[in-house]
Amino acid sequence: MKHQPFQPIDGLPNAPLAMPKQTLERGPAFGGFFKAFFLVWQRN
Amino acid sequence: MANRFTPGRAGWLRLLTLGFAAAVSLTAGIAFLDLIGGNRPVFLDWLRTILLVLTGFWLVWGGTIGLLGALSPKSRRLMDLTRPEGKTAILVPIYNEDPVETFARIAAMNRQIVAKGLGEHFHFAILSDTTSLEVAAEEASEFERLIVEPDAPGRIFYRRRERNVGRKAGNIEDFIARSGAAYDYAIILDADSLMEAETMLAMVRRMDSDPKLGLLQTVPVVIAARTLFGRMMAFSSAYFSRYFARGSAMLQGEDGPYWGHNAIVRVRAFASCCGLPVLSGKPPYGGHILSHDYVEAALLARGGWKVEVDPELLGSFEQGPENLIEYAKRDRRWCQGNLQHRRLIAAPGLKFWSRFTFVQGIMAYLASPLWLLLMAASLLSSLTPDSGGERWGATPWVIGAGVLATLLLPKFAIALRGAMDGTNAAFGGWRIIPSVLSEIVISTVIAPVLLGFQSRAVFQILFGMDGGWPATERDAKAVPLKTAFSASWWIVLAALAALVFMAYAGPAFLPWLLPVAGPALLAPFVIWATARGGERPVSTWLFSTANERAPSPIIVEADAILASWRATEPVVTVGLAEVAVHA
Repeated sequence: MKHQPFQPIDGLPNAPLAMPKQTLERGPAFGGFFKAFFLVWQRN
Repeated sequence: MANRFTPGRAGWLRLLTLGFAAAVSLTAGIAFLDLIGGNRPVFLDWLRTILLVLTGFWLVWGGTIGLLGALSPKSRRLMDLTRPEGKTAILVPIYNEDPVETFARIAAMNRQIVAKGLGEHFHFAILSDTTSLEVAAEEASEFERLIVEPDAPGRIFYRRRERNVGRKAGNIEDFIARSGAAYDYAIILDADSLMEAETMLAMVRRMDSDPKLGLLQTVPVVIAARTLFGRMMAFSSAYFSRYFARGSAMLQGEDGPYWGHNAIVRVRAFASCCGLPVLSGKPPYGGHILSHDYVEAALLARGGWKVEVDPELLGSFEQGPENLIEYAKRDRRWCQGNLQHRRLIAAPGLKFWSRFTFVQGIMAYLASPLWLLLMAASLLSSLTPDSGGERWGATPWVIGAGVLATLLLPKFAIALRGAMDGTNAAFGGWRIIPSVLSEIVISTVIAPVLLGFQSRAVFQILFGMDGGWPATERDAKAVPLKTAFSASWWIVLAALAALVFMAYAGPAFLPWLLPVAGPALLAPFVIWATARGGERPVSTWLFSTANERAPSPIIVEADAILASWRATEPVVTVGLAEVAVHA
């Protein structure tokens, strides 16, 4: 069995590309309405 | 982007097939209601009818897709094999799989690519998420064999993440974040995938020639199966699936599916549309998106990119589970992933068909507990006296014949079409008949066992249990009877209880319960018997596929490399700590 030291094996091209996170969830429909109209004092 | 329903052929076909499935299942529901409740139905009769219509709809829908595929003309598009313009990364995400087998397949694909003089256009990136240090060390040592393959240095890369954040989707995302800009396209494979170089070239040329094409999916054929179950699944995938996919492709149009592997993506489109968020809340519904492929297809379509499937692109292969237990394990993972999609059905801007695909995926698993509920309601109703009333005369035989026709008609239509278009000849001519009939019989026998496993998976998820991310052992072959029993004793108990209950409450209906309760009662034996095979396949003529009779060159090449690598000792690396890790 042949033994040899292990060489670093990464080396992928250094060429970053941004992958922005997508929006998939909607805010709670009624909760948003409730907050907007009835809890106006919390806006400050 | 506004929610758009694609007009034109796909739109009309969708309307027609959905309407047909709804009409057939509603008609069956009316006949069923007449049979069980006459003109004075009680609550249980209504419940059973609603359940039958709901489950029947998806059954008819599936059958319609098969029929559509069997009747549709074959695409006459020729493979464009001219030199590609774009540069492609072939991504192989791995997770605790056998590296010798995976790397042998990569070596085979690389040899074909280099032999065709296409080396500069195709790079390989092995993206390891392996958590076992032993397997990671094996990967590193087997990579030493891969790197001496033709033109490998600078074209074949390996990296391992210490923390597998985001699982497979996170693994791909990590690659794009680091190296995505260096490539135009990425062919995404699984550890068990294998593809002809010509197929990959044809995929790249399709991307070159259509700048709006974001993703092109092939229909992979299951190969290298040895057990009865594995061979049946391989036959089904090689023979029936292409036709089903043809029907599916006609309906999906440009909002097609992505099955997570054996597909090509346009890297910039994928990067700009498919950064998956972590869903709020805890698993099973919150956290990382498990069935990421459906979501990525939906996001690409939302971004205005075409997502297509091409069933005519041959030379695309994968491996599948070899026994019912491994199949159920994989199903548990997929079930959780699909049920998680209920959070995404209303996601902003998705196309109608993407939302429908999510519902379809959810119903693929929810149908099992609904069938179970239908049976439980039917058992209960045997305790209540018949409310009587006038009936039109629908008999149980009519309903039974309808269900049988829905299940069998597409398969017989495919067999007939196969006789006309030359497919049957490639599968051994007359041998197709026992294979098709055996597939029908065996899939009928295993259906109640799968119904049990799928129902349990759905209930576990509904009760908030996270199944984690167990790797599928595609090599797991024979299952001892003891293991089969410990995996399915509860199915036996449930079947026994149902049979005893019916024997007392309504013995006249016992024969109607037997087709489901019988195989369920014998679940351990079904699991054990269908997992027979091992090193030598159970038979060479039953479930024989075209690729067994005349193996594709890439299969021959990969098998030869694997055999030679198995026969020689690997180069041993110094220590586990030195395995290259990119955290």
